[in-house]
Amino acid sequence: MPKTTAIDVLNLVKRYTTYERIGFFRKRKKVIEALKGISFKVMEGEVFGLLGPNGAGKTTTVKIISTLLLPDEGTAKVLGYDVVEEANEVRKLIGVSLSVEKGFFWKLTGRENLKYFGMLYGLDGELLRKRIDELIKMLGLDELNAADKLYEEYSLGMKARLSLARALLTDPPVLILDEPTLGLDPPSARSLRELLVELAHDNNKTVLITTHNMFEAEIICDKVAIIDKGVILAVDTVEGLKKRVAKDVALEISFVMPAKAHMSSLLDMLKNALKCPCNISHNENVYRLRLVINVNSVDEITSMALKILHEMKCKVRRVDVKEPTLEDVFIKLTGRRGFK
Amino acid sequence: MRMRMLSVLKSGVLLDIYFFKNNRSTLISLMLWPYLMLGMLLGFGLIFGSTSAFKENIGMDVNPITYFVSSTVVIMACLGLLWDVAGSVLELRWIGALPYVILAPYRISLTLILSYVPRYLLISVIYLLEFTPLIILVEGLADGILKLGVIFTALTLGMLPMIGFAGLLAVLFIMMEEESNVLSWLNPLIMLFSGAFYPAYLLPHWAQTISRILPSTYTIEMARLAALMGSPSMARITFLMGLLIGFAVLYNILAYSLMGAGERRAMQRGAI
Ligand SMILES: Nc1ncnc2c1ncn2[C@@H]1O[C@H](COP(=O)(O)OP(=O)(O)OP(=O)(O)O)[C@@H](O)[C@H]1O
Ligand SMILES: [Mg+2]
Repeated sequence: MPKTTAIDVLNLVKRYTTYERIGFFRKRKKVIEALKGISFKVMEGEVFGLLGPNGAGKTTTVKIISTLLLPDEGTAKVLGYDVVEEANEVRKLIGVSLSVEKGFFWKLTGRENLKYFGMLYGLDGELLRKRIDELIKMLGLDELNAADKLYEEYSLGMKARLSLARALLTDPPVLILDEPTLGLDPPSARSLRELLVELAHDNNKTVLITTHNMFEAEIICDKVAIIDKGVILAVDTVEGLKKRVAKDVALEISFVMPAKAHMSSLLDMLKNALKCPCNISHNENVYRLRLVINVNSVDEITSMALKILHEMKCKVRRVDVKEPTLEDVFIKLTGRRGFK
Repeated sequence: MRMRMLSVLKSGVLLDIYFFKNNRSTLISLMLWPYLMLGMLLGFGLIFGSTSAFKENIGMDVNPITYFVSSTVVIMACLGLLWDVAGSVLELRWIGALPYVILAPYRISLTLILSYVPRYLLISVIYLLEFTPLIILVEGLADGILKLGVIFTALTLGMLPMIGFAGLLAVLFIMMEEESNVLSWLNPLIMLFSGAFYPAYLLPHWAQTISRILPSTYTIEMARLAALMGSPSMARITFLMGLLIGFAVLYNILAYSLMGAGERRAMQRGAI
């Protein structure tokens, strides 16, 4: 069965006008182009990830699709309804969670908050009560004894769960979630990811999430759009994106750096000499250099890198050649280091 | 459409019930507040002159207690409505709940305003009940009940233009660049100009101009007529009722037409 398009975004442009203060009363106008004409399609029953660094325009995109922000140019449609012209129709079809750490009444318990929003969204009576019980269970708020606690006493993880519960209240066909796993501990994040995949694949819900977590995008998204500075660099399945670097491998060299060596000058030296995307991360004093290179140049580049490290008096611990990950795709596409 | 409006109204009631259930102290201060306010208004009134001087100024033989109770209840309910409708926009934005309220599939302003109508009526009734013993004490049973009825009518009618007025403020707050709480200094000004401290017609000329465009001025005047019942004031009451209805139409049309533009501008700017 051919899948239908659930979310259709076409040439969206969004400019924010801000005013810089240059005197007590005088202000200077400043226009920020947050989205520079982005397009993508999300199919029904798909988990779609908008992946990008801070300030890329993810939240802006999500707000436009959720009818909360007007675009300057372009259109966005949810199940055929235009987000500007038919905002109320769209609102009936979507469940939204923006920033998971706020958005509820502090002096109400989680359950009371859900009841208020449920009623506002047109649910009532026994149906609403049952739905809330179901969601509290589904999101593990009962296990945490959080359902009947005041919201002001919630931990970040509880807030994130409640936020998703609200998005699910009306059992909408389309879920729009801005960084849904923010603040969750690893086991909770995992079960939430599993829940999202289950909702999409078993219940045919369309799930649009934003994240800057590569790992998250890689394991749950059927499709990923890589967005940076208001431009979409690529939209594809995770496999498809990885194919773009199929002739590539990731070369990983772990080493210990002598105390005095300069990290940035080392990185510059490596970049200049090797001319390929480099990324250094570290765990205590063990550093990990990651290079995405062509299969055929493994030999040459390895020896060059080892030579430089040797010159800088670094002790090499380990050399690995690995399959590239989504992170490597991102580095290759943006020409930038990872953003962790 | 009617079903939907009903669910907005109901959710508003629910929010209040939960809020007061979890905040008993707020409920108690809500109950004490009118008496404090009455004390303050009487105090201000008496600064300008003694009880007899007051009667002279008014030009009629009225009971100052009934007179000030009626202004107290009205001004507090009016300011409460302003605070609830316009202030709620600020509060919702602070706590980050504004987007989720807007996501209810109705006109934004409708949701914001309708949620607070039940609270206005409820609080009006609570205030009146609180003063019922006092009024009956000074006016006697039959007169007292009659006068309370007039005050309640004034409150209900006065709500209509006030909704439009509050709606205008709410739009202003949604659109505003800076989130200072204008309401905190607006409240005493509205009290002054509506003639809550002292009759509006005793205010300086320029201030009377402002008085005339505030719907609360007429609501207060109408409620105060309760204190004068028995004097030939029926014509004046009818006149004021007409005036309030006129203002209701005016302010609500004004608010309704500006709200659409305000909503769009806010959503354009990314203020939500
Ligand atoms: N209301 C606003 N007014 C002015 N500029 C804004 C506004 N909201 C966002 N921006 C700007 O638009 C750009 C994109 O922001 P956006 O919030 O969409 O990024 P993001 O991808 O969600 O980032 P993050 O990962 O940090 O959440 C940023 O430069 C940001 O400063
Ligand atoms: Mg964001």
